[in-house]
Amino acid sequence: MKNLKLASREIAQRTVVNVAGVEIGRDFVVIAGPCSVESEEQTLETARAVKAAGADMMRGGAFKPRTSPYSFQGLGIAGLKILEKAKKETGLPIVTEVIDPRDVTWVAEFADVLQIGTRNMQNYSLLKEVGRAGRPVLLKRGMYSTLEEWLNCAEYILSEGNPDVILCERGIRTFEKYTRNTLDLSAVPAMKELTHLPVIIDPTHSTGRVSLIGPMSLASVAAGADGLLVEVHHNPEQALCDAEQALTPEQFKQIMNRLRPLKAFIDQQEKSEVI
Amino acid sequence: MKLEEIRRKIGKIDRELMVLLQERMGLALRSKKFKEAVSDPEREEQLLARAEHLNLDLIERSFTRQLLKTIIEESKRLQQEDRKLAAFQGEHGAYGEVAARRFVPTGAYIPCMEFIDVFRGVEEGHFDLGVVPVENSLEGAVTQVNDLLTTTHLKVIGEAKVPVTHCLLATEETDYREIRQVYSHPQALAQCRGFLMRNNLEPRPFYDTAGAAKMLARENPRAAAAIASALSAELYDLEIIKEGIEDGASNTTRFLLLSREPYSQGGDKTSIIFATAHEAGKLYGVLRLFAEAKINLTRIASMPLRSDPDNYSFFLDFEGSDRDEKVAEVLKQVEELTISLKYLGSYPADTVES
Repeated sequence: MKNLKLASREIAQRTVVNVAGVEIGRDFVVIAGPCSVESEEQTLETARAVKAAGADMMRGGAFKPRTSPYSFQGLGIAGLKILEKAKKETGLPIVTEVIDPRDVTWVAEFADVLQIGTRNMQNYSLLKEVGRAGRPVLLKRGMYSTLEEWLNCAEYILSEGNPDVILCERGIRTFEKYTRNTLDLSAVPAMKELTHLPVIIDPTHSTGRVSLIGPMSLASVAAGADGLLVEVHHNPEQALCDAEQALTPEQFKQIMNRLRPLKAFIDQQEKSEVI
Repeated sequence: MKLEEIRRKIGKIDRELMVLLQERMGLALRSKKFKEAVSDPEREEQLLARAEHLNLDLIERSFTRQLLKTIIEESKRLQQEDRKLAAFQGEHGAYGEVAARRFVPTGAYIPCMEFIDVFRGVEEGHFDLGVVPVENSLEGAVTQVNDLLTTTHLKVIGEAKVPVTHCLLATEETDYREIRQVYSHPQALAQCRGFLMRNNLEPRPFYDTAGAAKMLARENPRAAAAIASALSAELYDLEIIKEGIEDGASNTTRFLLLSREPYSQGGDKTSIIFATAHEAGKLYGVLRLFAEAKINLTRIASMPLRSDPDNYSFFLDFEGSDRDEKVAEVLKQVEELTISLKYLGSYPADTVES
């Protein structure tokens, strides 16, 4: 792992990214919300539901990188304004994706965290741009990328002077077809060995199946992840994208109810080991 | 021209017609202050005849007559309503109008070029009320207004603390990625400096915030946006790209409502202006009176006297009404200690946390 001057574990202190009081790298942070912002009603309702279930931040896409150019591309600035409204009401900081270098400063005016999606992980001009945007960046792992390639992309952002990078494992392509991707859970402890940056898990895109999201969320707590990024829609059947993998608010709440005690238990164990 | 473009232009013309009609109705209401009767058949016939002479090939005379008659009927109806004319400085959509709409929810809001036009207009009876900014939380006192308060005879009958929420506005056709120049009043541009720098936008000073919005709507210059109120976006049919783009968290302007007659119901806040002789302890003597009577001061500001630049006039706002015995007593004593004392009025305090 050469050339990782800033991302490598040789920097002794672990990075804690502070987003309006939410500390990623210290607390277990849950980011939840719809795949895309579709309407004000849908976004606000989902925001209220995930807040009530105990989410720390809200996600929602206004600019969508879709496989087909004919699929819903997102609401753009109008979507960002809806997210801003949801934040005003719930107080949840906003995580949203940026896909075009020309949009970075504009998205940064609305968002608390800029997300780089899996397809853009190696879009170096975009990485440089978010490195200068003055906002924390959530960097998803490319679906065909090695850990080293992923870390080099984080290095791009860090080298522009932005120290706040959050890594997100979202599954990689394998020959398995039952799941949408294969969640590489080992990436969490591996990345903890390689870098000081916080690592979170996206159990939604990595499995693509609602039934697998709960177990993988609990597993990520056990694996030592710093948080979750999960898709929740107040009415998944009517979602304009990723309908088959979004949790209902009720399902999300059930997962949260099991996840928090598990995290507390593990923390307790670790504490007694240290003593 | 494509169909889409033709439709867009028609939409734009319709809006401009409405804006012009709004202006015409405002003038009709103002004319009421000069004449006794609302109806003037001779003048109406003159208007109709002149319009008919325009000789436009697509506008038939009968249509002209019918249209203008409808407009005149509506303006007569408006004139019969008891709408208060509230004057403010700036174009329609200025923060002064935002304040005026709060003071007088069902008024007619009259834009004026200068602050002095607001003061004179109210003094001479052309307007019922005037709305002027007296201080801003970031920029301090509005000296022109404070000066006019000392030299005119209007009474303060209300105050409103209006949050200044600057918005980045552009026409619907403008892609935010293409915006390069941003037009607005220099003060608004200065308050949004951080936003402009982050997004690599070039500030272009303009005479007025709302004026910049109006220009944008009328001329639609390329790659341009304006910084103005959300009200301006509504009035000129512009898109709000981002609301609240000012650097400072809290930016509030305090506006005063002016009238020829004092507030009739006492109020709970009072404003005075005074000057003292240039002697040691004189100002202290005045302030001591308020301290001893336990009257809380809410503002104290000084301004050089125009007539005597070595001396100052002091603007004092305090809690209480001149109808309170305590206040009346203090004011009597203040009069003895000062070389001039001007009572601006007692009025209800704006306690709405915005």
